[in-house]
Amino acid sequence: MQYLVVLLIFAVFLQTRMTGLKRAVVCLAAQSGIIACACLVVGFSVGGGLHAVLPGLLTLVVKVIFIPGAMLRLVKKITDDREITSTSRVNYSSLAAAVFLVMGYLLVDRLFPGIEGRDIIAASILMIMTGLSMMVLRKRAIIQMCGLITLENGIYLLGLLITEGLPMVVELGVFLDVLIAAVVLVILTNRMSLSFMTTDTTVMRKLKG
Amino acid sequence: MDYLFGALGLFVLGVLTMFLPKRLELGAHYSGMLLAAGASMLVLLFSLGILVTGMTVGPLVFGRYSLMVDTWSAAFLLITGLSGAAVSIYGIGYGKGYLGQRIRLLSGLWNLFILSMVLVIVAGDAFTFILSWEVMALVSFLLVNHESEKKEVVYAAYQYMVMTHLGTAAILVAFYLLGSASEDFSFAAMAANTLDTPMRHIVFASAFIGFALKSGLMPLHVWLPNAHPAAPSHVSALMSGVMLKVAVYGFGRFMFWFLDCSTFAYGLIVMCVGLVSAFLGVLYASMEKDMKRILAYSSVENMGIIYTAFGCGMLLTATGKGSMAFIAFTAVLVHSLSHSMMKCLLFMGAGSVLHATGTKNIEQLGALASRMPLTAFFTLIGAMSLASLPFTSGLVGEWMTLQSVITLAWQADAQEMRVFVILAFILMGLTGALALGCFVRLYGVTFLGRRRSSLVLKAHEMPASMLIGMGLEAVLILFFGILPAPMVGFMQSALTGGVIIMPMENLFGVFWAGNGSFSIYSPLILAILAVFIGGILWFTLSGKKCFVEQEETWNCGTVPTRREQYSATGFSKPLRRAFDFILNPQRKRVYLKKNHEYFGRQQEYHLHIPDQFSEFLYKPVEHFVVRSADTMRALQQGSVRLYIGYTMIAMIAVLIWGVM
Repeated sequence: MQYLVVLLIFAVFLQTRMTGLKRAVVCLAAQSGIIACACLVVGFSVGGGLHAVLPGLLTLVVKVIFIPGAMLRLVKKITDDREITSTSRVNYSSLAAAVFLVMGYLLVDRLFPGIEGRDIIAASILMIMTGLSMMVLRKRAIIQMCGLITLENGIYLLGLLITEGLPMVVELGVFLDVLIAAVVLVILTNRMSLSFMTTDTTVMRKLKG
Repeated sequence: MDYLFGALGLFVLGVLTMFLPKRLELGAHYSGMLLAAGASMLVLLFSLGILVTGMTVGPLVFGRYSLMVDTWSAAFLLITGLSGAAVSIYGIGYGKGYLGQRIRLLSGLWNLFILSMVLVIVAGDAFTFILSWEVMALVSFLLVNHESEKKEVVYAAYQYMVMTHLGTAAILVAFYLLGSASEDFSFAAMAANTLDTPMRHIVFASAFIGFALKSGLMPLHVWLPNAHPAAPSHVSALMSGVMLKVAVYGFGRFMFWFLDCSTFAYGLIVMCVGLVSAFLGVLYASMEKDMKRILAYSSVENMGIIYTAFGCGMLLTATGKGSMAFIAFTAVLVHSLSHSMMKCLLFMGAGSVLHATGTKNIEQLGALASRMPLTAFFTLIGAMSLASLPFTSGLVGEWMTLQSVITLAWQADAQEMRVFVILAFILMGLTGALALGCFVRLYGVTFLGRRRSSLVLKAHEMPASMLIGMGLEAVLILFFGILPAPMVGFMQSALTGGVIIMPMENLFGVFWAGNGSFSIYSPLILAILAVFIGGILWFTLSGKKCFVEQEETWNCGTVPTRREQYSATGFSKPLRRAFDFILNPQRKRVYLKKNHEYFGRQQEYHLHIPDQFSEFLYKPVEHFVVRSADTMRALQQGSVRLYIGYTMIAMIAVLIWGVM
């Protein structure tokens, strides 16, 4: 578990550095894969069986295969592959991620001193805040979607740790939500790419009256 | 009390005429206006009864609302009833011009307008007062906005709406503070409030701002010269004649009942604001060319005089000369009544001119006296009264105001006070002189001389109802001017009745019949003298035309034409020169043709007199508000990323706060 958390934090940092759309999606898939592994580890540790393993499998199917797959297909259609901005925004989001990591550890130590899954809570706070900051700071729709999935992963990880498995119906509902959000976003981004020849969300301001 | 309820019932019936079917439009108008006139007369009778008996009626409680009438409100009911009746009769004829232009709405709202003013005056608690005050503001907004096809009317109406709501907000603040320092919101309980001194200052400030705004005192007057020309004439007559006085009523209610007049600074503030309004109001009135704008600025002037008298009374009370303050407060009421009569009369006159010629620009009028002699005569009386000439009631109020200012100097213990009074006298004197010039200009340019445009040719005398309305006011003005005793007596009894805690002393004798000295003003004797001397002169001069020879005016060898007579703009030129540091007039000359140095020139002349208060006070405030609103818009500009950013910041803040 410790190694998974280190890998996860590394993946999230890498996520903030990505400017190429395709690589960002691959990185997201890797990050979701780590989450799925963590899920499976937790599932096996509480005793296996379909109920325990199902969340991990679902994560694997939805967040590692289906959503990144759809996004990769989308990226192929998009003509301008790189986020054409100065690197300062990228640097800011990495810097913010570093700050959030420190903040996460400080929060955990203050709120739950000596808790068992200290690293996991810190990592999930890191993911939630980094996901948000990616949505705020980055301009490309695909990368903002990556931010959303990162945020979602963080919340999922936190839930996994604190509740040790939600009821089945709730988990299925959460996955369905994410799936639908991702589908809608992919469709919208596709339309946007067709209409504006770019997926830079700043051009959407033109739509405002 | 029966009279009052009868009147309220008639007003409600009048409001209901609004819902008569369209084919009875004219009938609805007639019945609405007649009901308003009848109801106003009932109000008049009721107020006279209260003033004669000096009793206090009420408070009558209807659930949360209550009514209460004492002599102070009766004095203002008298003003409302008198002007309401006269202007309603005038409105029968004048309103017919709006046939086909929502005439039912006009007469229905007219009833509601008078009804709301009566309710403000008879309100017995803050709820009723604010409710009726707000109805009054909204109905007058609708009436100003009646000709809403015109763009400038809509602009003026909305400006009025914004300003009047600022005033209502200030009054609300005052009532809230007072109410929280008393047991409940009834006036009787609020009179026994337990405000501490800083709170009292705040209550005074907000009440004064609110009522001064409605009265059109100087820095807050900007809505007035725009709203009056925009409204139908009988509406502007009632707004200027009565609605402004309702604000005086409210201010008096605050000063006499809730706060006390004995704070020196309050009186000083009120008097200074009054003096400035009086002087600047008449100065701007002399500059305007629009008849109704002239009258609107003249309202600012007269409200200034009323507040000067009020402030003077407060100063006298504060310096412990309570019995002398009586004359000042009487002056407030007397001038309120006479200003109401003469301003209604002049607005009716302006309405008649507008009705007859279709313009209110006095530069296009002239020679109307021969075409509409009765209107001209009535307007002359109103103009004389506004210029406070003898034999008109306008002089009575102004004379008493001057008397109270003299009393202030005479009774002052400190030297500074005398210096202040000298200043006040200079301003009052200038005001009187400028008012005389202003109304000579208004009357002379409109009714005398030769016509300035062909619009005058279609002028005709007004129908009987309009003449009756104007004549009623004119007769009353002359009557109270020559025999002021009944008016002053009524207004004194308004002050001595019950609730006002004021040392009562009959100063009537001192200032009217002379107290052993010769410095008296007895209009009756003067009038008899004037009639006598005038008669002798007329007989001697008219018999043999020994002094009168009619010749052509010398005009450098040419025959004078119509276009060479004095124009209104030319008449006020010396004033513009003398006061250009205040008025800052901006003129622009455009040469259309200039072939020769002296001959064959053709030029256009544009004169613009900016209102200094809107230039230097309102525009910067407006700019500031607009600019800060622009800055605020950056917070909420529809960018999703920005909103997510807010969420993020909120989350971080909550997390950190939770840890702390």
